[in-house]
Amino acid sequence: MIRKRITAVAASLSLLAVSLMMTACHGANSSDKFEVPEDFDPDKSYSITFWAKNDTNKTQTTIYQNAIDSFEALYPNIDVNIRLYTDYGKIYNDVITNISTDTTPNVCITYPDHIATYMTGENVVVPLDDLIADPEYGLGGDCLRFDSPAPDQMVAKYMDECKINGEQYALPFMRSTEACYINKTYVEALGYTLPDVLTWDFIWEVSDAATAKNPDGTYVLNGGNTMIPFIYKSTDNMMITCLKQLGADYSTAEGDILLFNDDTTEVLQTIATHVDNGAFSTFKITGYPANFLNAGQCVFAIDSTAGSTWMGYYAPLSDLHGNDLVEFETAVRMIPQYDPDNIQMISQGPSVCIFNKSDPGEVMASWLFAQYLLTNEVQIAYSETEGYIPVSHMAQEDPEYQDYLSHYGEISNKYYDVKLQVTRMLLDNIDNTFVTPVFNGSTSLRDSAGAIVENTVKSIRRGQSVDYEDMYDDVSAQYNLNQLGGNFGKKASLGPLPKEARILLGTLGTAWVLIAAYFCYTKVKERK
Amino acid sequence: MKIGRYKAWIYLLPAIVFLALFMVYPLIDVFVYSFEEGYNSASGTSYGTGFYNYSYVLHDPYFLQAVKNTFIIVIITVPLSTAIALMIALALSSIPKVKELYQTIFFLPYVTNTLAVGLVFMIMFKKTPYSDGLINGVIKLFGGSSIDFIDGPYWAKMFVMCFYTLWIVMPFKILILTSALASVDDTYYKAARIDGTSRFRTFTAITLPMISPMIFYLVITGFIGAFKAYSDEVAIFGTDLNSAGMNTIVGYVYDKLYGDGGGYPSFASAAALILFMIVFTITCINLLISRKSSNV
Amino acid sequence: MDKSTPNLSAYKTGVIIRRTLLYIFLTICAVVVLFPFYWMILTSVKDYARYNSEYVPKLFTSSPTFDNYVSAFREVDLARYFMNTIIFTLITTGLMMIVIVLAAFAFARLEFKGKTLVFTLFLSLMMIPNELVIITNFVTITNWDMRNTFAGLILPSVTSVFYIYLLKENFEQIPDDLYKAAKVDGTSDLGYLTKVMIPICSPTIITILILKVIECWNSYVWPRLITDDPDYFLVSNGIQEIRENGFGRENIPAMMAAVVVISVPLIVVFIIFHRKIMEGVSRGGTKG
Repeated sequence: MIRKRITAVAASLSLLAVSLMMTACHGANSSDKFEVPEDFDPDKSYSITFWAKNDTNKTQTTIYQNAIDSFEALYPNIDVNIRLYTDYGKIYNDVITNISTDTTPNVCITYPDHIATYMTGENVVVPLDDLIADPEYGLGGDCLRFDSPAPDQMVAKYMDECKINGEQYALPFMRSTEACYINKTYVEALGYTLPDVLTWDFIWEVSDAATAKNPDGTYVLNGGNTMIPFIYKSTDNMMITCLKQLGADYSTAEGDILLFNDDTTEVLQTIATHVDNGAFSTFKITGYPANFLNAGQCVFAIDSTAGSTWMGYYAPLSDLHGNDLVEFETAVRMIPQYDPDNIQMISQGPSVCIFNKSDPGEVMASWLFAQYLLTNEVQIAYSETEGYIPVSHMAQEDPEYQDYLSHYGEISNKYYDVKLQVTRMLLDNIDNTFVTPVFNGSTSLRDSAGAIVENTVKSIRRGQSVDYEDMYDDVSAQYNLNQLGGNFGKKASLGPLPKEARILLGTLGTAWVLIAAYFCYTKVKERK
Repeated sequence: MKIGRYKAWIYLLPAIVFLALFMVYPLIDVFVYSFEEGYNSASGTSYGTGFYNYSYVLHDPYFLQAVKNTFIIVIITVPLSTAIALMIALALSSIPKVKELYQTIFFLPYVTNTLAVGLVFMIMFKKTPYSDGLINGVIKLFGGSSIDFIDGPYWAKMFVMCFYTLWIVMPFKILILTSALASVDDTYYKAARIDGTSRFRTFTAITLPMISPMIFYLVITGFIGAFKAYSDEVAIFGTDLNSAGMNTIVGYVYDKLYGDGGGYPSFASAAALILFMIVFTITCINLLISRKSSNV
Repeated sequence: MDKSTPNLSAYKTGVIIRRTLLYIFLTICAVVVLFPFYWMILTSVKDYARYNSEYVPKLFTSSPTFDNYVSAFREVDLARYFMNTIIFTLITTGLMMIVIVLAAFAFARLEFKGKTLVFTLFLSLMMIPNELVIITNFVTITNWDMRNTFAGLILPSVTSVFYIYLLKENFEQIPDDLYKAAKVDGTSDLGYLTKVMIPICSPTIITILILKVIECWNSYVWPRLITDDPDYFLVSNGIQEIRENGFGRENIPAMMAAVVVISVPLIVVFIIFHRKIMEGVSRGGTKG
């Protein structure tokens, strides 16, 4: 019985070997290169899918829905189906799986980093330069049924962020940055005065001071069991921003990875010291900064400006129930700086790209909808939901938007003070924002930048020391970093097999030798 | 008999069609993928044909970590669960009155959604800044210091993992062993009692040989099941198993396909085939051993 | 024990001590098994704010609340995931029964050329872990445009070599005479299968039914891949969704309420049919 089964398996394995020779390789699904059609008929029927991202904020969902409704009213023949995500990473993973099966969405909200990876497939993403310049259907074109900004009415910096190798592959949709939300009451209770521009030294010093404990184990500052003075939401941003502020290396524009350098190690060592004394933690390890801030368990919470409506005692959105909230004065500052004279903060926020389809008319319909997202109606409504700013001068200068900004200091959900403060901070600092180079795999590099911070924090919390070089190796392996940059499309040289792999292969080999020996032995025995 | 022959194929047709489409063809495909070096879904291109994928996977510390985790889980849970299940089954068989009640209780985990209960375990063991969690409360009660079982040191996480795996796999084993014990002919025991054989001797001389086929069956299925561990890990540590350091081989296959470093069916296939080789080897060894001992 | 001087009361005490130890052992095990269930129900009726303020969790609650159940159903579309899982389970199990009964019948009763070869091939497929084939099945199902459809969820799991094997062994135990007698009566093969074989083998068939239902209710890996539209989520995906982004932030009591709701149907079915189920599983079974 066993032998029969093994023979059968052997037979099927050899069958597989034969089929291997016969089967063609897995080819790429390539469509033709998209060209703006001469005769686009805006009244033909199309159905397009739109993958969008919202920040667990129900108002944003409504705004997407309103935008779709009013767009469909203008173009009754174009049917837009929306699918909502709360996480950019999920959109990215889903798009990647769908490229291989040729089932990409039509319009999709992503980061430019992600688009660079989508573009490794041929003609997967539509280049937008020709579409933007088209006199009829381009930005601000004559045949549009709505008012979209002309190319020169867009914030040039934001348009540039969506260029890959000099070509426009996406449109900016919204922009935000990070801000530091502060429990000013605590800072003053500790005997400090908040400067206008925070420095890293200041934030570490105050955080260390906040970890002081009473003899009974509770914290002096809030009298409770929990106090994490400094929480950073996005550790990848933290690492990237630190390196940028220090003028240190991260990657080249072509995608050569320079992340693992001495400056990085130094930043990590500083973080490690402050994890060790309980001054610092991250979102992934601890939880949402807003919850700790609002519960009086945190002094400095750094989160996206798009999270501002969760921050503070009067925050319109909150997870905490009444008696857990602690009243305090909320202050907002730019994220901490190494050099207050050379302010650097990250520029982030959703962009929109269009995927190629075999029917150019369908691509045109997608383009119309993507462009519709740039109209003042959508831009202003969406940017008012959170600490976002519109991406066109046309919307930023619109009287309606200016009126919104002027409601400074009012207590109401629409004009929530903290939200307006961060919005104005970003509007004043557009020129101080930066983005990292975009290339295929820049997402993985960004993830690695976050991972090294997380891993450091985790190890220290476990009471282990960190071997930075080992950790860098592990992280490069996890994110396939050796496949990127100059190495893309080439085999990386892997060196000798690691010990564990040799043990594994050795054990398997020995097992089969023994099985074979046993078989021979029984056969000989049977013959006797 | 011509019609009969024709008829048999009709009866078999649905099974053959489904197996061909969803088992045989994919196998061939996976095999092909595993030799397309560095093939990734986004670009749809590979470097060439060869063993690079296997080499890549075997060099990947996360794969090796996954192999290590999987082996630890297998080595701890398979013997331990079988032994404890045997103890419980023996205990059950000596209390006929309330046997059914206990048996029903012990079987309960079998019918529950493993992801759901995993979440309960996660919360019981988790330590957050808000709360030490239940288990740590108990540890403190006995004077120990609290440990984060979900995000803490490796052995603590492995402990939770093995404990949960035991909790999940035990019911089935208890049930099988209880019914195996019940089917042992009572006359053997009576004879042993008359001879004044000790309890332990009765167990090793009569009970164990009588139920050994069942134990072998449980060990083989246990090995295969434990090597495929994945969703139990997700239930406790979430989908990002790599950074939790608790990935398994199946989890690695998943991540290479759909995770954060995903989009590489080539590496995923190579890892899946290595897993298959491991399982196949162990099953063969198990079968040889069980055949040998049943021949004796 | 000294057998030459049978001291009855000492013997009895020994038995009692041993019994007591046994009961203690079994009861401890039972508590370990049951405790997670208790904890899950307890947490699900704790008030959210109260739960968050317990630094060391309490083992009971004085003021149970059902708000968490309300929010579980309101925040996540649990009712729909339920319906989906029920539909998925029923159709998958039904189709699979037809496929495997026919195949097992062919292997057990009908004679045809190449039977041994085909059967050996089938058996060798049993060795192949499911995880190996999902990669391609995903592409196949997508190419057929069946993502986010019940067909896509169901089709890859409507056949199982193991169950075919199990049923075939059982069919073969039915004496040949019955078959010959039926042939003489002019009963067709299909008639014989439905009127004689299935009723005789109904315990095994019920076993397979139960195992498959449990398998379907718990299936996670394939549904997670093939559905990204919450309209087709099953309860397992629902749980993961709740964990990762349901309820906005970590609302553990509501999470537990959802978990209770998801676990209850199988537990209720189990308690009603526990005798049959356990008998069936111990007769046939393996899990997965």
